[in-house]
Order: sequence, then C-alpha cells, then structure tokens
Amino acid sequence: MKAAATPTDRLRKRWRLLPERGTVSLFEIVLFAACAVLVAVRLPQHLQDVIILTYLWGGLALAWNIAGGYAGLISFGHAAFFGIGAYTSAILNVKVGLTPWIGMWLGGLLAAAAGTALALVCARLRGPFFILSTLAAAEVVRIGALNWATLTGGPEGLALLPVPSVLNMVFASKTTYAALMLGYLLAAYVFTKILEGSRFGFYMFAIRDDEDAASAAGVNPLLVRASAMGLSAFLSGVGGSLFAQYFLYLDPTHVISPELSFQFALLPALGGLGTAIGPVLGSFVITPLSEMLRSYMGDAVSGLHLAIYGGVVIAVMLYFPGGMAAALQHLAGRKRKAQ
Amino acid sequence: MALLEVRTLSRSFGALWAVRNVSFSVQPGELVGLIGPNGAGKSTLYNLIAGALDPTSGEIVFNGRRVSGQKPYQAARGGIARTFQIPKPYRHLSVVDNVVVSALAHDSTVAAARTSAEAVLADVGLADYADAPVSILTTGLLKRLEVARALALKPSLVLFDEIMAGLTPSEVKSMTNLVAGLPARGITVIWVEHVLYAIMKTAQRIMVLHRGEMIADDTPEKVAADPVVIKAYLGEEMSLA
Repeated sequence: MKAAATPTDRLRKRWRLLPERGTVSLFEIVLFAACAVLVAVRLPQHLQDVIILTYLWGGLALAWNIAGGYAGLISFGHAAFFGIGAYTSAILNVKVGLTPWIGMWLGGLLAAAAGTALALVCARLRGPFFILSTLAAAEVVRIGALNWATLTGGPEGLALLPVPSVLNMVFASKTTYAALMLGYLLAAYVFTKILEGSRFGFYMFAIRDDEDAASAAGVNPLLVRASAMGLSAFLSGVGGSLFAQYFLYLDPTHVISPELSFQFALLPALGGLGTAIGPVLGSFVITPLSEMLRSYMGDAVSGLHLAIYGGVVIAVMLYFPGGMAAALQHLAGRKRKAQ
Repeated sequence: MALLEVRTLSRSFGALWAVRNVSFSVQPGELVGLIGPNGAGKSTLYNLIAGALDPTSGEIVFNGRRVSGQKPYQAARGGIARTFQIPKPYRHLSVVDNVVVSALAHDSTVAAARTSAEAVLADVGLADYADAPVSILTTGLLKRLEVARALALKPSLVLFDEIMAGLTPSEVKSMTNLVAGLPARGITVIWVEHVLYAIMKTAQRIMVLHRGEMIADDTPEKVAADPVVIKAYLGEEMSLA
C-alpha cells in the first residue's frame, strides 16, 4: 500500500493546462487575458454590444450555476432575482438619487433575501416540484412588478437618466461598460473558484449528489440549500443592477421573463454544470451566436435565427452531454494518458 | 454509564410496527452484532438511532442525553456515524473527496480534512483509489468507502449496515480485522450483518430482531443455541463449526 500522501503530491506537481477544481490553469489565464484585450481594442459598436452582453450573461450564468450546478437546486426563476436587483438599484437611483455603486449591493442583498426565503419555503420540494416552484415564484415577482406601478412604473417601464455620469454609473463609452461587465464576470468567476475549493463547496456537492449521505456526514441540508440559493441570488441581483445601468430602461415583461430564467439555466447547462469554466464557455459560445444570428438574420426570414439557435443548442446537448467543459476535460484526460 | 440506551422504542408505518417495544443498552467499547431476517426492523432501528426517522414512542439516550427526534446531521455531529446498506456515494466527487465531506465535521480547513481523509482511506485499504472517481469502484470497494466516510466523522458510536455483502473472502477477513480493532480506538460498534461467521467470531454480544421485536440479546454462543433464534432466523441446519 502506498503512503497516504503520495497521490495528492503527484496531483499537485502536475502542470495544469486545463481548468480543474481548486487550481488556476493556463487555459483560464489565457481566456481572461483575451477578454481584457477585447475590451481594450477598438471595435465597431455592435461588436462591443455583443461583448458586453457575453460578459454579463457569463457572470449571470456563473451566478445561476452556484445554485443549479453546485448545490443541485435547478431554478427556472432566477430572472426574479435579476429583476429584484435591477429594480432596486434603479428605483433607488431615480426616486432617492442613491448612486448605483451602492444601490447594486442593496439590490444584491434584497435578491439574496428573496433567494434564501424561496429555499426555506420550498425546503421540502425536490426535483421537478422545486423547479416548478421557482418558476411560479418568479411569476409572482413579475406580476407584482407589473401592478405596483407607483414603485416600478408598471408596464410602462422605468427609465434611467441617459446622461453620462460616473456617480450615476452611466457611461458614454461602450468600452467602459465592457470593462465593467468583465469586472463582474471575473468577480463571479473568482468567487466560484474560491467556493468550489471551500468547506461550503464540499457541502454543496454532497447535498447535490446524495442528501441522505450528506446529512449522515453532519451536513445540515436546509442551511446549505438556503445559503447556496442566497449566494446565487445575490450575484444575480448585482448582475441585474449592471444590466439596468447598461440598458437604462426596465420593464417587468422583459426583465423578469421566464425566457430570461431559461437562458440563465441554459448557458451553464451547455457549458458544463457544476464547473467554474462551464458557464463562461456557455456564454462565450451561445451569446455571440444568438446576437449575431439576430442582427444578421433577424430581418431575413422571420424566426430563422431562432431555429438555427435551437439547432445549435440541441447539437451541443447531443454531442457534449456534459457540456463544453466536459469536452475539454475529455481532451485533458487523453493528454494525461499519453504522458 | 451506557453509551447508548434505547428504551421501549417503537416505530410504526401505518398499521405495521417496524420496531416494537425495543429496549437495549450498549456500553462504551462494546462490539455488538445485530441480526435478524429481512424485514425484521434492523434498518428502521438504525434510522431511529441515527435520526433519519422519528420514533412513534420510546426514547433514545446517547451519552446521557436524550436524543430521540434529533436530525441526522445532529446525530452525526454528536458522535453517531452510520453506513448505508446500499452505498450512497457522492457520484461526482473523487474517492478522497467523498471522505473529505465527513472529515470536515472535525477539521477546520479543507487541507486538514484531506489529510485526515487520506489517513482513513489507508486504514480501509482504499489509498490507491484516492483520486479515482467513485464510478470505477466495485461493490466491495463502495462498502469500504461507506466505512471510511463513517470513520472520518471520528464517531464514538458507529452503526455498520451489511458492510460485508458482496465482498470476497479475503476482503471479509481484512474488514473483520478493521472492525474488530475499532473498540480499542474508542469507537463502539453496532453491526448488522448477514455474513454470520464474521460477526459471530468478532462480536461480544449478539442481538436478534424478529418482526420488530428483540427476541434475543446474549453472547454469540448462547444466541446460536437459542431455539427461538434458530426457528426465527438461523434455521435448523445452522451450526457454528
């Protein structure tokens, strides 16, 4: 029998090329360096729009992944947390004049409170029943926002003052927005990497894979579920605030829509559930694809861009059931055997 | 003082009494076997002691504290570890990470928990599989992983549930040695097993459950000779030769 420490030592010594849990790889460094270059170089405005959205949705996909990928709490209601964050900072800015630089944290906290509450209320629900409850909860938030018109502007929406001002987090240059969204993406990524190597990360994996076994190992399932949902909702709420500052207009039908909730779930699912790099890859492939298809083909034949988009999504799911991250890991495995 | 005291414990599912009026106590450092035919209530009794089920009546006292009705994670943190009859690994984690989750109950950092987990894996003979995904483990190895996760909790009482099923004779031998050595390390053992020759040789005491009731609680020799036990479980042909 080998000495107990040997296998781990062997792992630590090996040079990491591709992303793995708990370490930083060359792939990740190169990827995010490339992201920074894309922010810095001069690009046409419509391409900058694509980049901004890719980074923002990437961050939101990472946020969703904490609950859905790591803790196994598949949610089709994250648009509610996104919307709560967006409306909180926007309303505070418009009605009270509070800077979004502070408002976005308050939006995140309010979203976290909603996420934690949802996890506690739905504590006994599992699988499809939990998913349906998240969908329903988000509809409650959407209908609430539509009807509480004095606060949210209701169906007419809520507009932010489109005058550039650093204090109001409104910028003339798309480059600044791109940098802001990259900051959000990076923060969500680093947070995820820390989380997956932490005690709480292990507790989430355990609850996701087998709740009975986790309980028997001293893990409090309710506490872990509520915390995971809270953290995930917090990050989604902050992302919502950033979205509000970029679009400068919010209306409940778009901001708290089931379509948006599905998208937050779809990007990590395609990229690789329960991995840090998965949601990023998902957004980097799918967001530009969807934006390009819409801008180049949206007018040609009605609905054609959506059909192509759907076809690509199905192809990825068929050929990479573990997502793009699993395809990468597969490559890494091959390399390891060759060494 | 007894480590575990079970007093007139009952649990019903509808009209069925899975455990009825069961009383026994286990002293610190004991290795007690628990046998009985399928459906006798062994697993229900374990679920009651480990907090996975609430009793219908009766009480459980552990370390002098009444613990009936506590949650499984409270039982685990309080010193009661268990294995599952059908292994329940965390299927997306490596073998060592499966054990790290349990070790985190005591260790303050993940790195420290990993060191403890690796030591426990060496103990149960899984050191070579530390970094392997659990999907490659055979039934026998999964049973060892169950034992490793229970021991990583550093429990004062461990409930083993058929950890020998599906093991080869040499694996049974090494597992028996491991279990037999636990009381000396301050771990009291209750052990449900169908591999009788292992348990009859190792346990100091055998309790027999039948239809939810405790029908015998004595030394292995006396239990094996007990006509009631023979009729209920062992069968007329049973011998301990």
